Amino acid sequence: MDLKALDDSRVQYLGKKGELTELLKGLGKLSKEERPKMGEAINEAKVQIQKLIESRKEELEDIALNQRLLSEKIDVTLPSRNSERGSLHPITQTLNHIQDIFTKAGFEIEIGPEIEDDFHNFSALNIPEHHPARAMHDTFYFDSNTVLRTHTSPVQIRTLERQKPPVRIIVPGKVYRCDSDITHTPMFHQVEGLIVDKEASFSQLKGLLIDFLRAYFEKEDLKVRFRPSYFPFTEPSAEADIECVICGGEGCRVCKKSGWLEVLGCGVVHPNVLKAVNVDSEEYSGFAFGMGVERLAMLRYGVNDLRLFFENDVRFLNQF
Amino acid sequence: MNISTRWLREWVSPDVSDLELSEKLTMAGLEVDQIAPVAPPFEGLVVGHVVSCSKHPNADKLSLCEVDIGIGENLQIICGAPNVRQDLKVAVATVGSVLPNKLKIKRAKLRGVESNGMLCSESEMGVSDSHEGIIELDANSKIGDDVRSVLDLDDQIIELDITPNRGDCFSVLGVAREVCVNYDLSLPNINFKAEQKGNISFKSMVSNPKECPKYLTRIIEGVDNNASTPEWMAQKLLRASQQLHSPIVDITNYVLLELGQPMHAFDLSKINGSINVRSAKKNEKLELLNGQNVTLSEDTLVIADEKSAIAMAGVIGGMGTSTLENSTEILLESAFFEPVAIAGVARSYGLHTDASLRFERGVDFNMAHQAMERATELVLEICGGTASGINETIDSKSLPKLEPIKISIEKISKVLGFDLDSSWVESKFKFLDFDFKNNKDHSWSITPPSFRYDIRIPADIIEELARLYGYDKIPVQRLTIDSNISKALQAQIRQNDFSNVLVNRSYKEVITYSFISHEMHDLVDPNSKKILLQNPISDDMALMRSSLWPGLIHSAKSNIRRGHINLRFFEMGLCFSGLKVEDQVQKVAGIISGNRYDSQWGAKDQEVDFFDAKSDVEALLNLSKNDFIFEAAEHPALQLGQTAKIMKGKNQIGWIGALSPKLQKKLSMPKAFLFELTLSEIEQGKTPSYESFSALQASQRDIAIVVSNEVTSDELIHSIQSMKQDDLIDVNLFDVYEGEHIEQGSKSVALNLTYQSKEVTLTDEQLAEKVSKIVGHLETKFAAKLR
Repeated sequence: MDLKALDDSRVQYLGKKGELTELLKGLGKLSKEERPKMGEAINEAKVQIQKLIESRKEELEDIALNQRLLSEKIDVTLPSRNSERGSLHPITQTLNHIQDIFTKAGFEIEIGPEIEDDFHNFSALNIPEHHPARAMHDTFYFDSNTVLRTHTSPVQIRTLERQKPPVRIIVPGKVYRCDSDITHTPMFHQVEGLIVDKEASFSQLKGLLIDFLRAYFEKEDLKVRFRPSYFPFTEPSAEADIECVICGGEGCRVCKKSGWLEVLGCGVVHPNVLKAVNVDSEEYSGFAFGMGVERLAMLRYGVNDLRLFFENDVRFLNQF
Repeated sequence: MNISTRWLREWVSPDVSDLELSEKLTMAGLEVDQIAPVAPPFEGLVVGHVVSCSKHPNADKLSLCEVDIGIGENLQIICGAPNVRQDLKVAVATVGSVLPNKLKIKRAKLRGVESNGMLCSESEMGVSDSHEGIIELDANSKIGDDVRSVLDLDDQIIELDITPNRGDCFSVLGVAREVCVNYDLSLPNINFKAEQKGNISFKSMVSNPKECPKYLTRIIEGVDNNASTPEWMAQKLLRASQQLHSPIVDITNYVLLELGQPMHAFDLSKINGSINVRSAKKNEKLELLNGQNVTLSEDTLVIADEKSAIAMAGVIGGMGTSTLENSTEILLESAFFEPVAIAGVARSYGLHTDASLRFERGVDFNMAHQAMERATELVLEICGGTASGINETIDSKSLPKLEPIKISIEKISKVLGFDLDSSWVESKFKFLDFDFKNNKDHSWSITPPSFRYDIRIPADIIEELARLYGYDKIPVQRLTIDSNISKALQAQIRQNDFSNVLVNRSYKEVITYSFISHEMHDLVDPNSKKILLQNPISDDMALMRSSLWPGLIHSAKSNIRRGHINLRFFEMGLCFSGLKVEDQVQKVAGIISGNRYDSQWGAKDQEVDFFDAKSDVEALLNLSKNDFIFEAAEHPALQLGQTAKIMKGKNQIGWIGALSPKLQKKLSMPKAFLFELTLSEIEQGKTPSYESFSALQASQRDIAIVVSNEVTSDELIHSIQSMKQDDLIDVNLFDVYEGEHIEQGSKSVALNLTYQSKEVTLTDEQLAEKVSKIVGHLETKFAAKLR
């Protein structure tokens, strides 16, 4: 029986000319005594029939709905539309990670120009003309006074020219060196950090960088060591090594069997740098640090070829 | 610099392993890049004596040798080396030994003749790459001795990465001094004195005493430069990566490595008259020892005889006066050149020499005399001859001044962040050869030694103390809390917000080089200024980008070539229109190409079009809640008719359009759409300001008009908006139709108008009147016809 047949039945009994309707019409012919009884019986029947029809209707509708659902069934595992995933470049992701850590420690983010003058890139950072450190920099020149910045350190100078201490900044950005081989690209990224304050000491520098490296590599017991090094713009200067995250300090190809990986350079700001920006080095001291973003990204993501970062192959980008 | 631990330990030998020693050096600031044995491990190689050597009966190139290795009977060994011969002392790998290349020596038959071992070459022992036959051991080597000890192969080479401030460590003496300081040892006194029998003086003058405060020479006559450099010296030189030349040159190199004093030997017979240390003359030419002919610049300091320049001071000697095998009279030079006078000179001629490396960083100005005596001693010992006295031209007042540096324990503690003990500090001063004096105010006045050019200010002394204390032992402190709350601009849109909009719209971020080729510049943005690098890496990276498009096009192209044809890329970075700070502008740009989505079972493939790019651009622009206008425009890289400039008020802030068919062809690119926006123009948003909205119902009215094709959608909408009709709250264009029933050159445009009053419900009559006013306006302004 379908809904149509059910409706036919309804009409047959309850319709305007239905059998029960007819019976009701015929009540007038009955005696006064019979009339109420019969009327009651007919109404009773009418209610019963209506109930039955309703319940049957619901049953039939459920069946119809179930049939419809069955016919509308889809394979929910079929691919969707436009599910292509966008992505941030791994260098940007690394920069974001580094910035997040430092902004939590109260650092402001500063940026600066990539085409720099000699003063900001070299002289103010205690690298006078002919200083041997200039040879280490493989600088790109536009003219004798204008270069592509070789590090993000000029932004230290630009910030201190503009802002009085206390200063607590990090500087993410692109830097350039005239060098291109398997381990060098002519453009890469650095994050520079600088604190200038009344009490800024080497011990604090150590504390900050150990905390940073442990947060960055998400390893609370990461071993970090500091050893003396040389940068013209810091004195004392240090380089920080972490235990090799590839081999866990056992010694491997990446750490050249030493168990240690050099990850950043740092030091107490050289008095000549403060002098160049008219900060009294008797009143204020500072410390600075700088790190290579590609290196940190390579170590964290296990990327083994620096050049992949700038080839922008989607097979590479898709993985981040 | 490479230094052998054996050589170092001749000077100072702390009671630790080579490995521990090298770790100590690293932690003291002399970074050890690598420490490696002279030869990789192997065993079973002994000294043999070739008793007889004859031709192999069945092979022309093989020899049949009888070799005595001191075991009673001789071994029969077949050898293929051309230099094998009777009476030679050789390195014999006996049966059972394993060579570094994993070759295990077995008893074998070669062309029918038995061979019981192998005679080894240097490369087979892993000592060098030399394949030139087997190694020829010293004739006095004892038969049967272990080759490792005979050749001193357990010596280790330390590869030091010396920082520019530590010029004093470019010698065995320097490193030994550093070892002493770190192990609280003292260095043996150096006091070289050569026998002086001759009495020929040599005249030299110094025209530029400020640049050359000290110039020492000495004549040695009757030398034999045909003598051979002794094995002990040759080995040390080779292990310091110094090539061998003639004994005289080897001796000067040896003294340089040992004491850090660069020296030079002239062939006296080739010098015309006396010597003058002066600046080069205009266009003066010099043939250098390496064969290079240079025209000297006038600021280059030279050593000259009475005729011409004969050497570039502190950098390299000249070919004309160099010592040769037949030289018998030599003039030794030992000088002090000011670092500033030598700095950058070598590099300006494309040179990098052991001498310039040291003079640039600073050579001990008290070493010249000692070095002269040492070199003389070695010449007399190896080449014979008669040495005359040392001729000295010294200008004391031009020598570096060693000013006392004043420092207090409080200052040291403040910079380091912890307290050091004064007596410990003073003990270290002694080991460092710092001459110190206690001042009345409890500070010290310290005079550094002549070899330490890096100790000039208090911070330098603090570094010395910190590194001797041990950076690792310095306690760790946390930063104190800085309660400065930085400015937080709510309406400022961060770069990451822009990036995230694009990432959420399926874009992948790329990072490309900021320098591009002339070709790309000329194709993509020919009207902008070329910012050329003086020294580019290659022609492909010759100038700074003015737009991000070249990099994006290149990235798209290389991925398309690999079969990834549906792509959306964006990049954010500086673009350059000049060298000034304000000429460096941060931009965001994108490229899309291929299909809207990857092929999908339920949808037809659709190629991306202008409006896909436009919606992405609008998504970026909408972040700022400002009004922007797209205006049809022309751009050399973009297709005519599918190009718009993006305006914010009167300022152009970007471009959008289809890559022009001409560029598509030139660059072998498929159809693609590009956009670029200047970030500074779109990152300033608005702080929201609430306005009440009407509770009454809004009414919609649609109109369809026919206008010329030339009338743009924006013109129609802006024109309606400019009427500022009361209660008109929105105008939306929802259909454009061209074709049948519409006159050629015209189009039908359907607009939806939304009306809503804040006070009353608008009646049909009121609405009709408002709409008819708009239609009337469009009829007048655009000759529109109501459909």
